[in-house]
Amino acid sequence: MAHITINQYLQQVYEAIDNREGSFCAELLSFKHPHVANPRLQLASPEDKCQQVLEPPYDEMVAAHLRCTYAVANHDFVEAYKFQTLVVQSFLKAFQSHKEENWALPVMFAVTLDLRIFANNAEQQLQKKGKGQPSEMLEKAAEQLMSCFRVCASDNRAGIEDSKKWGMMFLSNQLFKIYFKINKLHLCKPLIRAIDSSNLKNDYSPAQKVTYKYYVGRKAMFDSDFKLAEEFLSYAFDHCHRSSQKNKRMILIYLLPVKMLLGHMPTHQLLRKYDLMQFSDVTKAVSEGNLLLLNEALSKHETFFIRCGIFLILEKLKIITYRNLFKKVYLLLRTHQLPLEAFLVALRMMKVEDVDIDEVQCILANLIYMGHIKGYISHQHQKLVVSKQNPFPPLSSVS
Amino acid sequence: MHDTVSFVALCYSNPESAKEQERSHSQRRGAPSEGQWRQRDKEQWQGEGKAQVRQADEEEQKPRQHEEDMVPKGTCQTMCPAQELRDREAQNRLHHFEMLPGTEKDRRPKGDPSRAVKEYSRPAAGKDSTKPSDLRPPPVLLKTVNYLINDIAAAPSLYPWTEVYTFVFDRLRAVKQDMIIQRMSGLDCVGILERTVRFLIYASYRLCGEPLRLYDPRINDIHLQEYLSWLLDCYMTKTGPHPNQEEFQSLSLLYNLGSARTMQHTMQLPLRLRSTPNIKLALFINQAFLERNPVRLLRLAQKLNFLQTCALHRHLMTCRQDLLLVYSHGYSSRNCRFPLDRLAKLLFLDASLTAQLCRSCGVEVNKDNQVVFSKAAFTEPGQGTLHCKLYHSIASEKQRDLTVKNIVQSCVETNKK
Repeated sequence: MAHITINQYLQQVYEAIDNREGSFCAELLSFKHPHVANPRLQLASPEDKCQQVLEPPYDEMVAAHLRCTYAVANHDFVEAYKFQTLVVQSFLKAFQSHKEENWALPVMFAVTLDLRIFANNAEQQLQKKGKGQPSEMLEKAAEQLMSCFRVCASDNRAGIEDSKKWGMMFLSNQLFKIYFKINKLHLCKPLIRAIDSSNLKNDYSPAQKVTYKYYVGRKAMFDSDFKLAEEFLSYAFDHCHRSSQKNKRMILIYLLPVKMLLGHMPTHQLLRKYDLMQFSDVTKAVSEGNLLLLNEALSKHETFFIRCGIFLILEKLKIITYRNLFKKVYLLLRTHQLPLEAFLVALRMMKVEDVDIDEVQCILANLIYMGHIKGYISHQHQKLVVSKQNPFPPLSSVS
Repeated sequence: MHDTVSFVALCYSNPESAKEQERSHSQRRGAPSEGQWRQRDKEQWQGEGKAQVRQADEEEQKPRQHEEDMVPKGTCQTMCPAQELRDREAQNRLHHFEMLPGTEKDRRPKGDPSRAVKEYSRPAAGKDSTKPSDLRPPPVLLKTVNYLINDIAAAPSLYPWTEVYTFVFDRLRAVKQDMIIQRMSGLDCVGILERTVRFLIYASYRLCGEPLRLYDPRINDIHLQEYLSWLLDCYMTKTGPHPNQEEFQSLSLLYNLGSARTMQHTMQLPLRLRSTPNIKLALFINQAFLERNPVRLLRLAQKLNFLQTCALHRHLMTCRQDLLLVYSHGYSSRNCRFPLDRLAKLLFLDASLTAQLCRSCGVEVNKDNQVVFSKAAFTEPGQGTLHCKLYHSIASEKQRDLTVKNIVQSCVETNKK
């Protein structure tokens, strides 16, 4: 592959298309394949050659692909991105003309993946030079991906075997990656709706399903729908291949906070196995009701948590921590009429200095409102009066 | 969480070391000989793709120069292009702020070139908005914005401030249009955008409660978000110094209270910036909101300055209602007696306004001025029953003798270009 001539390459492409060999054709257009390192293919103006061998729009597509290899060889990702855009555009023209057949799906996967990757790299290059609006290229890439998605989603004629709908989940996953990167999660919704209402949703490949559930789970987290988030992320974790340690770890990073919010603390063993010891102090602090330790743990690993986008969710654990602390107070005093002072003392012992009796009442009122405490506050008696039965319901039962 | 791109390594690998891929299935035909190429009619190639590739060619040959030629550059040195002033004068479409004093009552008032400002006009087919003589270069745009703030928004006027606002809003929109057409970016924009954002935030407070036909808070919000978003992008792409960045990051957090997106954006700012007092305070306020601790939130809000309070103010009604909701549940019992005065202190309102707010939410206040919380009783106040303007004391107290000019020009005075 590294030594073939341009003519040989074009001939191979021609044959792949002619014989409808989707996977092989995809390789010839993918940057994962060694042909892109072949200097004989890195031409500045391959259009004429391509026109000689290939029909439109394949000639434009391949010409743009070759110009892309040239750009990448020159380390110019902005140019590469521009050409990859042309590749995808031309591909889509061809794809749309394939009536009731989907052999080109692997090609679509390859060229759209490269588009997203180049958009990422191009943005980074521009950022370094201080040019360009942030997210501009990724947004444009997303628009193109959406066009592909629409072509797939609207394929109602073909039978299941030949349907373009099989491309929907892959594209959704690519789009999710972009939307999460540019922080525009609300754009995920129409994709989720489309997949949900499709009859193929359970039949996509395991790898695609795991990726899909991972992102949908993260979106549910963002929407504070923790029960749903737990369901999706657990699926992703359980079905992720044993050998993909890195991916399993990534899923856990999001699954752990969700489980903790629902009252399930991870074991030390689990954290060590997946190299996630950043969570160990957080876990300890929450179970003990130790606000001081929680704040310390959050600030110690702030950078990590922020980069993963879970810092804000972990802050929600504060409410669970208060609940655990106050439950301890209840268990210690062994009465159903708890003086508010006691909670204040407990907080002071945890070195929480900036909370006064008014705020304690507010925190308690909120815990009651959320269902974490069954009871009421009596202002006149300055007491929290809790129910004689199950005043601190288990966390998993509180929605 | 970034994908490592293995193909990049592949691209730069020594071709000699790249493995020759076995082609198990291809019975390769001979490569087409030179004589075998198919004849192509050049006309057939006028497809879009071809033209784009050609354009890419041209751009490759003379990239910089080509781009610079394409971007319009304004040459108009006055706040209003001469042609537009003549046209509007002839069509009797001058605003009274733009008329030559003494001619206002004439059948066709004359325009004052020192006070006329280019108005916003919707882009339309056939209309060329890129004529250099109609576009104002960056220094003129900044001068225009300063004029609008100092001489119109901040000046005493015979006209109601809703009218002042409408005029300034429109003319600022035209400034923005000129900026976009000329592809202005970075430091040139920052001064203009900062003043615009301050003006719109102030307006959102001052005109709160005005009838919809005179002031629409939603439209103000849409434009404010756009300007703010652009401003924050400028901070990100152009390396500083940006002396006012702390102020505007915190204004963004306060205006967008509770927005996970804004908070995530802020958390990703460099630590030194994030630890500045104004941003820290705005973050604490957001955290109090997310933790549903309105007591803490309202207390922290006391530390904000006037403009920051303006940014936050539209959320305060929700926060106060939330307090009543949470307390309705937390204190819900038949014998509940919560002193109204105590509640008033927590809400930072006087007793009578507190009682009014309680009434609007179905919360009972008995004749001894004790609040009887009950979770069954709390109801969301109906649309239009709560008038935010009545509850503005938290902001108005801070205004004292601040003038509009102080508020909008703020400490930027010392950084004038």
